[in-house]
Amino acid sequence: MQMRIKQKGWQNQTGIVILVCIFFISLVCAFTFFEPEPYPLKYPANFGGRFTIPEDNPVTREGVALGRKLFYEELLSANNKISCASCHQQALAFSDNRQFSIGVDGTPTRRNSMSLSNLLWVKNFFWDGRSTSLEAQAVVPLTDPHEMGQSLEASSRKLNASKNYPSLFEKAFGTPHINADRIVKALAQFERTLISGNSKYDQYLTGSYQPTESERRGILLFSRGMRMDTNQRGGNCLHCHSIPKTFSETFHNNGLDEVPLDFGREDFTGMQEDRARFRVPTLRNIEVTGPYMHDGRFKTLREVLDHYSDHIKPSATLSPFIAGVTEQQIYSLALTPEEKQDIVNFMLMLTDTDFLNNPEFSDPEYKTNKP
Amino acid sequence: MKLLRILILAFISVALLMGPSYAQEFITIEGEVTRVLKLSIKDLEKYPVAEIKIKDQKGEEHVYRGTALSVLLDSAGVTLGRNLRGENLTKYVLVTAVDNYQVVYSLAEIDPEFASNLVLLTTHVDGKPLPKGEGPFRLVNQIDKRHARWIREIRSIKVLFSK
Ligand code: HEC
Ligand code: HEC
Repeated sequence: MQMRIKQKGWQNQTGIVILVCIFFISLVCAFTFFEPEPYPLKYPANFGGRFTIPEDNPVTREGVALGRKLFYEELLSANNKISCASCHQQALAFSDNRQFSIGVDGTPTRRNSMSLSNLLWVKNFFWDGRSTSLEAQAVVPLTDPHEMGQSLEASSRKLNASKNYPSLFEKAFGTPHINADRIVKALAQFERTLISGNSKYDQYLTGSYQPTESERRGILLFSRGMRMDTNQRGGNCLHCHSIPKTFSETFHNNGLDEVPLDFGREDFTGMQEDRARFRVPTLRNIEVTGPYMHDGRFKTLREVLDHYSDHIKPSATLSPFIAGVTEQQIYSLALTPEEKQDIVNFMLMLTDTDFLNNPEFSDPEYKTNKP
Repeated sequence: MKLLRILILAFISVALLMGPSYAQEFITIEGEVTRVLKLSIKDLEKYPVAEIKIKDQKGEEHVYRGTALSVLLDSAGVTLGRNLRGENLTKYVLVTAVDNYQVVYSLAEIDPEFASNLVLLTTHVDGKPLPKGEGPFRLVNQIDKRHARWIREIRSIKVLFSK
């Protein structure tokens, strides 16, 4: 009797052991057979390789496909009406045309929506550089009550209940589990693919586009500074909007206000010397990303040129690299209307129509609408 | 109208010159060091003084005064002189300004036992403290023809290994 019971117990245990083995073997299989395909990031050689992709979030075709779908996903918002693309529209180089954007609660955002391109090379995100990775950045709009306004747990639950998402997460990450970490990772992967490097200016650099006379003058005026001794004219724009990417990881006060309403980087670092400093933003596709500056105060590029030429405002943190700013005084650059137009014409060369129409960046649900 | 313009310009100039000084008062030397240094202008005065004379674009001579960077790195315990060998030769110095502008010097080009260059952490030019927008700390060196590595408004100096 005793024997028999013992034997039964032993049989039971074998059952469990076998089940556990099968579980582990299948788990190992899932991971060994889970091999998402690397996504080839193509960019012009002169952009350089100074970027880092987090080791725990390589860019893969499956991850990018998921991230792209999430970028256009309205379920990620509290009222199921707002997606990242509401404020970052492809045709506008992933910005919008408002001074301030409107989120779920109907109130305007604090700052102007930023264009999303060449983020692969950016290290400090937002106008004030307060976020240091695309993964961390994505949490902000997703959960901010004035933007999408929904906890990542709620978003995960909604996606879990939908038909397609569990299998898309499985393809991208190996298991169908949906959580906050995976949502922001997929979004970041998609954003790293948003590379704009085929504008007329890029074609000019590789010798396949001949600039007009005005564009040529614009390139020089953009690149050079004013020099009294040689009568050289220029806006010294390149000092900050460095070529070829046209942005830099530096923070400057470009003379918009004597008394700023928005303290910019100071709000983040707590240092007075950072007052009204903002990250130098990209000028790529600038033709379609207006209105301009962190508060969208200028409607046209011509107004931007009027600012740099004639309306630089003094303050303790005004950048010494703005043309016309010396230690003792500010003198107006007094660019002529023709010079202003030349610089604007140069900036229009930065429009990349391939980027604005690239079907790989569009809403995957509206694929058929695209040419 | 003209008078008004001049008055406004004068006002702006005064405002610029007199405006509160927001410049970074300290400089840090950190990274591959045995001792992190946080130095004020006063602290710097305790180190030996060195000078570089340089002609500007107009041919006028200026005298920059400060402390040799090698002396400061040495006092932070950075591997210089006899210790600058082997893997230590892959070390570099990353200098960051208030606006996040960055430049790099290799450790070897700063070390007087290696190079005949002099790299100075300056605080004064022509006997006066460096002007706003340039100071309180600026790197100046003897041999660069273009001065883009004469980084102004320095916030930090980091010694790093190239990976
Ligand atoms: C309600 C409008 C709105 C929505 C929705 C929105 N954004 Fe933004 N986005 C902005 C604004 C405004 C800024 C600039 C904010 C700032 O600097 O403080 C910004 C900045 C960014 C930046 C920084 C770009 C740079 O160059 O530093 C990234 C990246 C970004 N958004 C991605 C996203 C993603 C991903 C989503 C969806 C999860 C999203 N945004 C949803 C308005 C929005
Ligand atoms: C000292 C650095 C610096 C220089 C020099 C400079 N800029 Fe800027 N630029 C900035 C910063 C910083 C911003 C963002 C400022 C803000 O929003 O408060 C900016 C914003 C802009 C914008 C708006 C971008 C957008 O997305 O809204 C344009 C256009 C622009 N600059 C063009 C120029 C031109 C043209 C010149 C030369 C005449 C120039 N910049 C010189 C630092 C600089």
